[in-house]
Amino acid sequence: MTTSTTSTPFREGLFRDGSDGPTLLAGRCTSCGRVSFPVPDMCLQCRGQDIDAVELGGDAELLCATTVHMPNRHFPPGHAVGFVVLPQGVRIFTQLRPVDAKPFRSGMPMKLEIAPLWREDDTDVLAYRFVPA
Amino acid sequence: MQDVVVLGVGQSEFGKFPERGIAELGGAAARTAIADAGIDPGDLQAAFSSRVYEAMITSQTILKDLGVTGIEMVNVENACAGGSTAVRSLYKDIAAGYVDVGIAIGVESMTTSPVAGKLIPPDKDDLDGQMGLSMPVLFALQAKRLMETHGAKEEDFAQVSVKAHEFGALNPKAQYRKRFTVEEVLGSRMVADPITLLQCCPNTDGAAAVVLASADFARKYTEKPVRITGSSLISGDYDFKRADLTTMPLGVKAATSAYEQAGIGPEDVDVVELHDAFATEELVHYEDLGLCPRGESVGLLRSGATSLGGRVPVNPSGGLLSLGHPLAASGVRIICELTDQLRGRAGDRQVPGAKVGLAQMLGGAATGLDAGAASVHILTV
Repeated sequence: MTTSTTSTPFREGLFRDGSDGPTLLAGRCTSCGRVSFPVPDMCLQCRGQDIDAVELGGDAELLCATTVHMPNRHFPPGHAVGFVVLPQGVRIFTQLRPVDAKPFRSGMPMKLEIAPLWREDDTDVLAYRFVPA
Repeated sequence: MQDVVVLGVGQSEFGKFPERGIAELGGAAARTAIADAGIDPGDLQAAFSSRVYEAMITSQTILKDLGVTGIEMVNVENACAGGSTAVRSLYKDIAAGYVDVGIAIGVESMTTSPVAGKLIPPDKDDLDGQMGLSMPVLFALQAKRLMETHGAKEEDFAQVSVKAHEFGALNPKAQYRKRFTVEEVLGSRMVADPITLLQCCPNTDGAAAVVLASADFARKYTEKPVRITGSSLISGDYDFKRADLTTMPLGVKAATSAYEQAGIGPEDVDVVELHDAFATEELVHYEDLGLCPRGESVGLLRSGATSLGGRVPVNPSGGLLSLGHPLAASGVRIICELTDQLRGRAGDRQVPGAKVGLAQMLGGAATGLDAGAASVHILTV
């Protein structure tokens, strides 16, 4: 029995996993300063065309969480998901990884993790999720 | 602008009928609506139909069996708001004077669709959809915020479903026709915490149709016309613009526009039909429609004002939860229910003396938007 070790990011340009820890990749509008994830083609607030690349880091606060008891395309029953808010005010939907069956609570500090979340064509698909800090 | 009235309404049976095609389901609703209007099918000058799944020439497929050919037929899609979109499209054409009378049809065969028995995901390429977002998940997370910010309890969400089924048990067209207790709702299988199975609408096959006409045309057929006095359709706005998940700004915008057109306020509404695909969202719509001040939706529910016999009953048809939710049919079906209510022919679920009805429908989810579409229609006698 062999195990494939190839992996591929779920989409290019969403995150970077460096030696200094993982970070989500976002864009900041040079006109109005709005920070967006993922990097937008244009600013969705002021329609500005110039977007600077910024890193959001890996720290977030949990807004809300739920456990889904039905299968989803990539995830088996029992997976946890939620919204987290990054320090720049960016709210994102994400998979969550519970730790030690500790209940998720609003306001809980969370940390970004880049991990293989599902497999496609014998390849691990890397994506982002958050775990309690 | 011509005044537009609802001249006739029709609804097929709602339930699981995998053996019935689109033409059969839609035909049943359209025939009833045409007969109710008292017109000849040949009078129809335009048709707008909506269907989410496997949709192509829906109007033509249904109406060719009714002897209706050679007129303008348009087929629209706007997720669960597709039926409302068909109604509004026809409304606009009549108001503008392009046609005098037409039919709007919504139809769905959920049991033969690719999502039969599954969670309905956003588009397959949608970022959040790929990451696991689906309709019940979105509404479960919204419900979690309601618990945090509004003091909503799991029992409150269950009560929305209990209320829907109390109404649905009185509706001969409903899929469930069965009452449930709060304990039974909470004890049903968990789908996405806090939403249990009995807080989700079922998979439903069915269709609804309405014949709309100009007030001039309608004069020959009815002495008590149900007028459409407000009609709005608004696409979703950026999610980042809302402070929290407990309001859907597109719904507020749709309601505000419809109220302005009708020259009324939420306090004037006697009966409401709204999108309760999941019990929890009903509380959000109470506030977005202005049925109560911000933050007071739980109190409004607990007061019984939206229940059978209350000040402003919500979803007397049984709603999507109990009557059933053939996606694109629901936006048309809510117009059927309100028309029956305003004509005083809603049987055991009749809201006494109802003069003003509000029909709201919500459709779709996409990464970055509060929802896909929201539509509000106000009907008046």
